[in-house]
Amino acid sequence: MKETEATFLALINHHKAIIHKVSKMYMDDAEQQRDLFQEIVLQLWKAYPTFKGNSKFTTWMYRVGLNTALVYFKKDKRKVDKIALDENIDVIDVNESESKEEKLAYLYKAVQELNAIEKALIFLFLENQSHREIAENLGISEVNARVKLKRTKEKLQFIIKKNGYEF
Amino acid sequence: MVMNFDDLKNEWKADGLEETNISEEMLKIKQAHTPIDIIRKKMKREFYYQLLALLFMTGLPYLLKLSADMTMLYFVFFFITCGFTGYYFVKFYRFYKNSYDMSVDSRKNILWFYYEMKLNVELYKALTYIIVFIWVAFLSVFTLIEKAWVVDKFFNKLPPFYLLINCFVTVLVIGVITELWAWHYYGKYLKRIKKIVDELNYEH
Repeated sequence: MKETEATFLALINHHKAIIHKVSKMYMDDAEQQRDLFQEIVLQLWKAYPTFKGNSKFTTWMYRVGLNTALVYFKKDKRKVDKIALDENIDVIDVNESESKEEKLAYLYKAVQELNAIEKALIFLFLENQSHREIAENLGISEVNARVKLKRTKEKLQFIIKKNGYEF
Repeated sequence: MVMNFDDLKNEWKADGLEETNISEEMLKIKQAHTPIDIIRKKMKREFYYQLLALLFMTGLPYLLKLSADMTMLYFVFFFITCGFTGYYFVKFYRFYKNSYDMSVDSRKNILWFYYEMKLNVELYKALTYIIVFIWVAFLSVFTLIEKAWVVDKFFNKLPPFYLLINCFVTVLVIGVITELWAWHYYGKYLKRIKKIVDELNYEH
């Protein structure tokens, strides 16, 4: 294995969670998530020569990952419509000891009702990005990022509440 | 159950860490699936079809047993077609080879995709119009010279207004077919990208 390839693999494996999370945010079906995951890895590898280290590796990964997800087309069958919440996920469960995984699984289902830009906003917010960083990644003004994020969080809360959770 | 963003952020941090590692094999995949890649792939395929069609067209006058004068005229139209096709394919080739940078901010990235696709779809439509009109012109000349009896029998008896309406309808039908074809082949990708551009541009 070439040195560049080995360095790249070490770096993305260290931050592979980012790619997994973007894939789950943008695709709800396991097969489509795998395809998007693969596409992001491919685009990261293609773009790797442009990474000069001027920004953090994770910042660069956010951009390539989100940009790929925003324009990704799954063989003309990409689901763009709202997807009903999975019945297998117990939405109105009053049990306080419900697993963390279930909360996240529910979050991933709920974000499927957001549009592509709203998903990017929530993703960056959950990644602890500041308003300024969100604005820089998306190419919008900081004020716009703040307003859009506020509205998107409200929308997400509404979706979650609508389906029986307290928020 | 109660959910809040602080809890979610904590749980989010741990998500995806346990997934299997990315292998060396995954870097060997060549085919990307961005809309630009899909359009490029389709245009490449069409280029080969068009090349085959042009090759087939070189033998057409002999198959149709056209007269020597008509064959010469046919090849004049044929070379004009080849000229335009060549010019546009040089442009499509540049589009095909033009790489994109996914590490810019999302607005720049999306706008680049949108305008690059739009420009090339417009070029594609322009080439289709040009080729169709060149061959409509040839067919008209062919009918006037070789099939003069058709003109005598049908067209001379029709009022000029009717002929004008006919021309207009022909142009309209060609236009509608070209637009529908381009839309069917490429328009849906443009529409989806435009939707994301609008979502990004939407202020408050």
